[in-house]
Amino acid sequence: MVAVFTLLDAIIQQLSLVFISLTIGICLAAPLAILSVFYKRISYFVLTTINMAQSIPSFALVAIIVPLVGIGFLPAIAAIVLGSIVPIVKNMYIGLAKTDTALIDTGKGMGLTDLQIMRHIRLPLAYPAIFAGLKFSAIIANGIAVLTAIIGSGGLGRIIFEGLASFNINKTLSGAIPAILIALSLDLIFSLAEKKLKSKAGY
Amino acid sequence: MDPVSLRRRIGYVIQQIGLFPHMTVKENIGLIPRLEKWKDEDISLRIEELLTLVALPPDLFSSRYPNQLSGGQQQRVGLARALVMDPPLLLMDEPFGALDPLLRMQLQNEFLSIKTKLDKTIVFVTHDIEESFILADRIGVMHAGKMIQIGTPSELLFEPENEIVSKIIGSENKFKAIRFLQAKDVMIPLNNNCLIENEISCKETIEKMISNKIEMCIIKKSNKEIAQVSLIELLNIMELDRSISDFGNKLLIVSPDDTLSSIILLLKTSKDSMAVVMEKEKILGIVRINSVLLNLL
Repeated sequence: MVAVFTLLDAIIQQLSLVFISLTIGICLAAPLAILSVFYKRISYFVLTTINMAQSIPSFALVAIIVPLVGIGFLPAIAAIVLGSIVPIVKNMYIGLAKTDTALIDTGKGMGLTDLQIMRHIRLPLAYPAIFAGLKFSAIIANGIAVLTAIIGSGGLGRIIFEGLASFNINKTLSGAIPAILIALSLDLIFSLAEKKLKSKAGY
Repeated sequence: MDPVSLRRRIGYVIQQIGLFPHMTVKENIGLIPRLEKWKDEDISLRIEELLTLVALPPDLFSSRYPNQLSGGQQQRVGLARALVMDPPLLLMDEPFGALDPLLRMQLQNEFLSIKTKLDKTIVFVTHDIEESFILADRIGVMHAGKMIQIGTPSELLFEPENEIVSKIIGSENKFKAIRFLQAKDVMIPLNNNCLIENEISCKETIEKMISNKIEMCIIKKSNKEIAQVSLIELLNIMELDRSISDFGNKLLIVSPDDTLSSIILLLKTSKDSMAVVMEKEKILGIVRINSVLLNLL
């Protein structure tokens, strides 16, 4: 059995791994997605790279990070960002780019600039898609954050690996169950936010 | 010229209406004023004014989302939004194209009444030639990206520039146009020689008609009573000293905006063959129904 204090510590570490990576992911994804909407060539490049990144197994990704940036908390964040950014960029790009062309035409005809169309039409209409992407990304990030314990990130993964190594079922479960609960509650929270955004405008 | 500032001075209404689904009616109409940094109270005043113009009570509609409105109401909000910057020019790209025929007719009628209130130049794009006849003062016919002819409905109907125009207008079905053509489109302008306004005798009238080589003249007895008399009738009159205003066949009076179909109906019930077109006590011309109908066939 693990001490309550250690477990709490691990959960906090786990959550910070997830949310720090998510924040960095959003910061990286937003400019990529917005540029992709305006420039076809960038969108092609971004989407191809991203589709390739998606096919890399998470465990291989974590392994590859070590020779590149070493071990510890920050390299773990890098691995999680790389592994979980795909749905953010993809959903953001699709949400922003696939706005009803009639609405874009209207906006243009009314005299909105491209940036104003982005800010007042494309972005608010893309919120549901973006939130769906964030949800998916948060769940993947949680998954990879368990694996990164192996390169010294801490978090629930450490408890699980220690439990597995010492054939301690109780210890393993006390790491695994909170990890599962985190995944489920992330899903729930983001789904609620998505639903709220959708029902607000009723579209 | 900067296209953005140019576009802001053109009101734009498109077929798909294009109301932003995530914004309320109020926000849809107020978007451009907000970007132009109007004061909040100016924006809400303008929104109320416009919603009243398009017959949507502001307190009922301004906080609704587009999906809570019917198609016709959405199109009216679209029109209000296009008018918000008070543009001198309004561009309407098939605004009624996607509506069902009944609603379309209703909106066309509303459009006509709003049109007179607005006093703006409206460029209205449509594929429905009947719609253009109902709504337009002047119609430009475009084919293969070129403007072929611009003119009033009757000009296009009776003097088409070429085959294409007559085909688009449907010249072989001209009689359909009786619903749209107005008295002013089909009247024969009155030659002043043919008009007798003062009290003269029959003899003088005959002399005047012979010297002017006319067969028929219009007698204006008062603003309410117009009559017509032909030379042959006058020559049969024995008492040539009597005033001309004692003679003549009373004519129907129509206004220049009356449609041809309503004039035909009037003439059929009174069994007359011509009517006189008057506006503000001035005789503009006459409509001879037989020659008009002949033109339409």
